[in-house]
Amino acid sequence: MMKARVPEWLNSTLWSSKSPPVDERLHQCSPKSSTPTISAAEPPRVEPPLPQPPPKLIIQEPSTPQMTDPRGDDHRNSPSSLTEDISRQTQLLAELSKKTIDMHELRRLASQGIPDGVGIRPTIWKLLLEYLPNDRGLWASELANKRSQYKNFKEELLVNPSEVTRRIEKSAGIENNESCEGSGLLPRSEITHGEHPLSLGKTSIWNQFFQDTEIIEQIDRDVRRTHPDMHFFSGDSSFANSNQEALRNILILFAKLNPGIRYVQGMNEVLAPLFYVFKNDSDEKNAASAEADAFFCFVELLSGFRDHFCQQLDNSVVGIRSTITKLSQLLKEHDEELWRHLEVTSKVNPQFYAFRWITLLLTQEFNFADSLHIWDTLLSDPEGPQDTLLRICCAMLILIRRRLLAGDFTSNLKLLQNYPSTNISHLLYVADKLRVKSTR
Amino acid sequence: MVLVLALGDLHIPHRAPDLPAKFKSMLVPGKIQHIICTGNLCIKQEVHDYLKSLCPDMHVTRGEYDEDARYPETKTLTIGQFKLGLCHGHQVIPWGDLDSLAMLQRQLDVDILVTGHTHQFKAYKHEGGVVINPGSATGAYSSITYDVNPSFVLMDIDALRVVVYVYELIDGEVKVDKIDFKKTATAHSAH
Repeated sequence: MMKARVPEWLNSTLWSSKSPPVDERLHQCSPKSSTPTISAAEPPRVEPPLPQPPPKLIIQEPSTPQMTDPRGDDHRNSPSSLTEDISRQTQLLAELSKKTIDMHELRRLASQGIPDGVGIRPTIWKLLLEYLPNDRGLWASELANKRSQYKNFKEELLVNPSEVTRRIEKSAGIENNESCEGSGLLPRSEITHGEHPLSLGKTSIWNQFFQDTEIIEQIDRDVRRTHPDMHFFSGDSSFANSNQEALRNILILFAKLNPGIRYVQGMNEVLAPLFYVFKNDSDEKNAASAEADAFFCFVELLSGFRDHFCQQLDNSVVGIRSTITKLSQLLKEHDEELWRHLEVTSKVNPQFYAFRWITLLLTQEFNFADSLHIWDTLLSDPEGPQDTLLRICCAMLILIRRRLLAGDFTSNLKLLQNYPSTNISHLLYVADKLRVKSTR
Repeated sequence: MVLVLALGDLHIPHRAPDLPAKFKSMLVPGKIQHIICTGNLCIKQEVHDYLKSLCPDMHVTRGEYDEDARYPETKTLTIGQFKLGLCHGHQVIPWGDLDSLAMLQRQLDVDILVTGHTHQFKAYKHEGGVVINPGSATGAYSSITYDVNPSFVLMDIDALRVVVYVYELIDGEVKVDKIDFKKTATAHSAH
C-alpha cells in the first residue's frame, strides 16, 4: 500500500540517503517533524535535541485551524489522511461530551492516537486508566474523593517523627508548656512505648523513619535525573523544582504504601509522562491537582506491571523473563528469519534490549512526544497494555529487520539499545497489523 | 527536625575503657546531625574519631584532662532557631552552681547551655534559658563522687521546640526520659 500523496519536501535529500525500499515495511524515513509542532502546542517544554530536520521546513506547511499536527497526515503510511484525523478528533470530542461515555468506542478511537493541541489527552488518559468513571455526572464527586484521599495519605505518611510525636501528645492532651518563665529543675516525663530517636525497635516510628531515608535518597537521586533535557522536569526554575517535588512525593507514598515492592529504579520514568500530561491540562483546577491524579493513575498503570519490578519474580511465570520470552515467541511467529538471525546467529539475547523496552514502557526509546503517542495506544488496549506493548516491540524489531539481518552481535546490540527514530504512526500501524495476523 | 547528641566526660582510657555496650549499640551513624561534646574525652585519636564516624559535624570543648590542647574553652553554635553554648564547666566556680552557669549563659548569649564536669545529669531552666548537663557517658567517677550512672542527652530541635531525650544506664538497663521545652518567639530582653 502506497502513501496517498508525497509532498515535495519529503523527497528532499535531507532525509535518509537510502534508496527507496522495496517492501513498504522497511521504510526508514524518519520525519522528526512531530516534535517541533508538538512543542509549539505545549510551551513549557524545551525541545529534545533533534538531529535532523530544520524546523522551518515544517512551519511552511499550512496548519489547518483545527489540526495542529500536520506531521501526521502527509507521511502517515496508513490510509488515514488529514480528513480522517479531523474526523477522529471530532469523534473523540463528541464522545467525551456525552453523559455516559462508551468506553469501548473511546478505546477504539484513542488507540489510533489522540490529537495533541486540543487538550483532551489528560481526560482521556484518566478515563482509560479508569480513574474517572464513564458516567460524567460522577466525575466531580470521584475527583474530590480521590484528591482528598491523597491529601490524607500525604499528611499521614510524609511527616517526620517529631511531628508525629507532637500530634500524639496533643491528642492525648499532654500539653507541656515549658517556656522560659521561672527557674528550677525541668520536669522529666516518661516516654511512651519506648519511642525515642535512637530506638532500634521494629515498630518504632523513628526506626522506620531512618530506614525509609535510604529509599527516599534513592528516589531523590532518580527524580533529579528524570528527563534532564526538559525544562518541565529539570533545571533550576521553581517550576521544575515543584514538579520534581511532586514526583518525589508520589514515589515516596507509593513506596510506603507498597512495602512489598517499595521503589525500584525506573518507576520515575513510568511516572513522568503521566504527571506531565496531567500537569499540562488546560483546565486549571485539574492541573493543580495533577499530583493526586497522577498518583492514582500511576498505581493503576503499575498494577499490571508490578511483577516486572520485583526481583524475586524474575524467573517466575509472571516475571520479566517470561514476558521477554513471550516477545521472542511473538517475533518467531511473525518473522522467523529475523528471529533466527537475532537469537541464534548473532546471539543477541533479548534481555539486552527488551528489558528496558518492556519495564519502562518504551519511554526511553523515543523522544518524549513520540512516547506520549505510543502511550495513547498502549493505554487504550482494553485487555491491559502488556499485549500491545509486546506487539509494538515486535514491530520495532521488524521495522529495522534489514539492518539487523545485515549486522552482527555488536552492531545489532548497538542498534537495538539506541533504537533509531522512526515514524511513530507507521510503527503503531505495523504493530496493529501484527494483531490481525496473529488472530488468524 | 534536627537531632543533636550531647555527651562528655568520657575519661577514656584513664577512668573507663569505653562507652557501655548498650549505648554503643544505639549510636549508629546516619541518624544524628550534630554532636556536641563537653570535654574530657581524654585520648584524641580513638574517641574523637569514633564520634566523628557517627556524625561528621562534631564540636568539642576542652576539659581539664583532655590530651588535645587545641580544643577551645567555649563554643557557640546555632541550630535551627536555638543558640547553643558549650563549655566543659570546670572553669565555672562553684562547679555546677546554677547562678554561675547562668552568668556564663548570659556571657555567651545562648538559649541552651551545655556543660559537664559534675558527671551528673541535670536540666535547669531559668529566665535566660536552659542549662543541660549530660553527665558522663561512660559513668566515669568524678572529682566529687564515685556513684555515677552513665548518661547522655539527645536533643530533637524542631523550629521553636526542643525535645530533650535523656538516656541513662541504670542497673544495666537503658532508661529514656524526655523533657519538652519551647522557646518563646520574642527575643529575651536579658541580653
